[in-house]
Amino acid sequence: MLELIIALLCLPPLCAVLALKGNFDNEKLHWLHRLTATGVGLLVAGILYKLNPAHPFESEYFYIDALSAWMLMIITTLYLAASWTARSYLTREEICGVLKGERLQTGRYFALMQLFVWTMFIVLLVKNLGLMWVAIEATTLISALLISFKFTRNALEATWKYVMVCTVGICLALLGTLILYYAQITAMGSERALSWLYLHRHAIILDPALTKLALMFILIGYGTKIGMAPMHTWLPDAYAEAPSLTSGMLSGALCTCALYVMMRNLVILLPTAGAELMGSMVLFFAVLTVAIAVPFVVVQRDVKRILAYSSMENIGIMMAGVGVFTAFSLKAVLLHMYSHAMIKFVLFYIAGTIIQEYQTRNMMRIHGMMHDVPHTATFWLAGMLGILGLPPMGLFFSKFYILTDMFRQGHWVAGGLLILLLTGVLIGILYHGMRMLCDIPKRKPLGDLLGKIDVPVLAVLLLLTCIVGAGFEQIPWINNLLNNAVKVIGG
Amino acid sequence: MEYIVVALMFVVFLQTRIMDLRRAVYCLGVQSAIIAAACLVIGMSHGGGLHAFLPGVLTIAVKVIFIPYAILKVVHNLQDENEIVSDINVNYSTAVAACAMALSYMVFDSLLPHFEGRDILASSLFMIMTGLILIVMRSRAIMQMIGLITLENGIYLFGLVMTEGLPIIIELGVFLDVLIAVVILVILTSRLRISFKTTDTNELNKLKG
Repeated sequence: MLELIIALLCLPPLCAVLALKGNFDNEKLHWLHRLTATGVGLLVAGILYKLNPAHPFESEYFYIDALSAWMLMIITTLYLAASWTARSYLTREEICGVLKGERLQTGRYFALMQLFVWTMFIVLLVKNLGLMWVAIEATTLISALLISFKFTRNALEATWKYVMVCTVGICLALLGTLILYYAQITAMGSERALSWLYLHRHAIILDPALTKLALMFILIGYGTKIGMAPMHTWLPDAYAEAPSLTSGMLSGALCTCALYVMMRNLVILLPTAGAELMGSMVLFFAVLTVAIAVPFVVVQRDVKRILAYSSMENIGIMMAGVGVFTAFSLKAVLLHMYSHAMIKFVLFYIAGTIIQEYQTRNMMRIHGMMHDVPHTATFWLAGMLGILGLPPMGLFFSKFYILTDMFRQGHWVAGGLLILLLTGVLIGILYHGMRMLCDIPKRKPLGDLLGKIDVPVLAVLLLLTCIVGAGFEQIPWINNLLNNAVKVIGG
Repeated sequence: MEYIVVALMFVVFLQTRIMDLRRAVYCLGVQSAIIAAACLVIGMSHGGGLHAFLPGVLTIAVKVIFIPYAILKVVHNLQDENEIVSDINVNYSTAVAACAMALSYMVFDSLLPHFEGRDILASSLFMIMTGLILIVMRSRAIMQMIGLITLENGIYLFGLVMTEGLPIIIELGVFLDVLIAVVILVILTSRLRISFKTTDTNELNKLKG
């Protein structure tokens, strides 16, 4: 097991160095990128196969239990999809003149992408809360270079906001972590500092006053990174200005990672700080996040920004699930993470394709996609139905479970508000999406640019959400993994 | 220790008043040097060994030498070297910083009465708040960067006093992150200079809605 983890952590940086320093042409670079991703995918499959969800793996620095395995699965799936579709996406960018097709640029992109995924793997695999913080901050920094990849004015603006807001947020999370460490020192000495497992076993003897203080800072800190209102200001800019492949990873993988770290911290803080304090606070911010997103979805003109605001809406739903904090709602949150990551990746990818086809990001100037670009339109429609949570896509089930549990636990006001707000999102996205799909075309697209390899990859992602979302209880392996993951968090 | 606290407070107050970018960076360097001194003093008082000296030495290498050097290199390429906010804004930020200082003493007196390192803890909280004030109230990219590092210095000092330093591997990771953050911010600032012909962050107002 340890060998697998070490190999997993060696492959991406190796590929990054080769992509930057090795003298490969574009074709070879693409294959290097794809093969590395496939290798990592196989290693992760090996880890998941060997891992017994009920008995976590533990070594000096690494720790894998069902929760990290679930996250590992989400991120690896996106990573595989992103690397297999990268070639046709980048080639199209080149044709449209956005990206210079020099070897250096492609190499730089792949190197950054590999490092980005690598830092996320570190977040999921390390055992120590301090190292988790270090890795989360590293994801911010690497992804900053990915967002500003084209170095246009807008990209620079988005990156500056992203780095400033997120770094300040994450610094507050460090403050929270330090307070937690102080609580550990006062309760049981500085031995095995900030080790998650050790703290988890002794969570009950920490000083409640200190853990409450730490909880505030950690919620605000990692909340910023997740994109919780009112610290969300960086999110729409960063998601919209990044290259579409990156936007998908940011929304699907990075947000999941940040939520994972927050959950790990909650496990330790809640026994003493009290779930009620956390629950009411998180529920409030969750509803606020959705409420802020709704008007922007409805009046949006930019095809990628509407997706960014829809990400905020989904973040709000996930946070609401965490706020309810029962075994049932947490299981639904984990499912929601999975489906949201897959569908959002597809949507961002298709949005990128639409921008390339129509040479505009303004949704008001795109009509008649069904007629002109049928392949892209089909995926756009499927993705849209998926993100709105219509059956049989996975998000329907997880949204339904989260809302059900909100009402069952007596959060009537929050639940009612959430349903009302979700209706607003539905109207906004359907209105804009349907206008793009139907209507009379006024502008000729460059053609249906969706590549040969894109179609199966995107279709598999969408199908996976249907299968996992609807049938998780019928697939024993997934059900077992989920149940154990929920047991880790508590609830 | 008292001298360190006094010097630190003086430097941080000065930071809110300096408008010249170059001098602001020098001031930041001095601030980090004081933090390094605090590191060494605290390290020595808890016995010698690698763990006592490493944070101090790293602080000197990263925050006193490398970071000011990297920022000065960007400043060197800029045409106008002054912060552009008005004098009123400067006075406001100093006044807010003064309130922050009073507030941080009040917070610690109510949270942890009779804590022996009360002054230095309060000054660390004061630094955190001043860092935030600088980020919010200054408009030049370099000044915001300085605010961010002040904030980070404050958190670092807080950790040092409260917990006598983190385990060495986490400490190294934090330093690495600060280092990369500054490198990336420097890259972004020089790109801002190329694309916008200025490093005024008020110009960054195109993305809305």
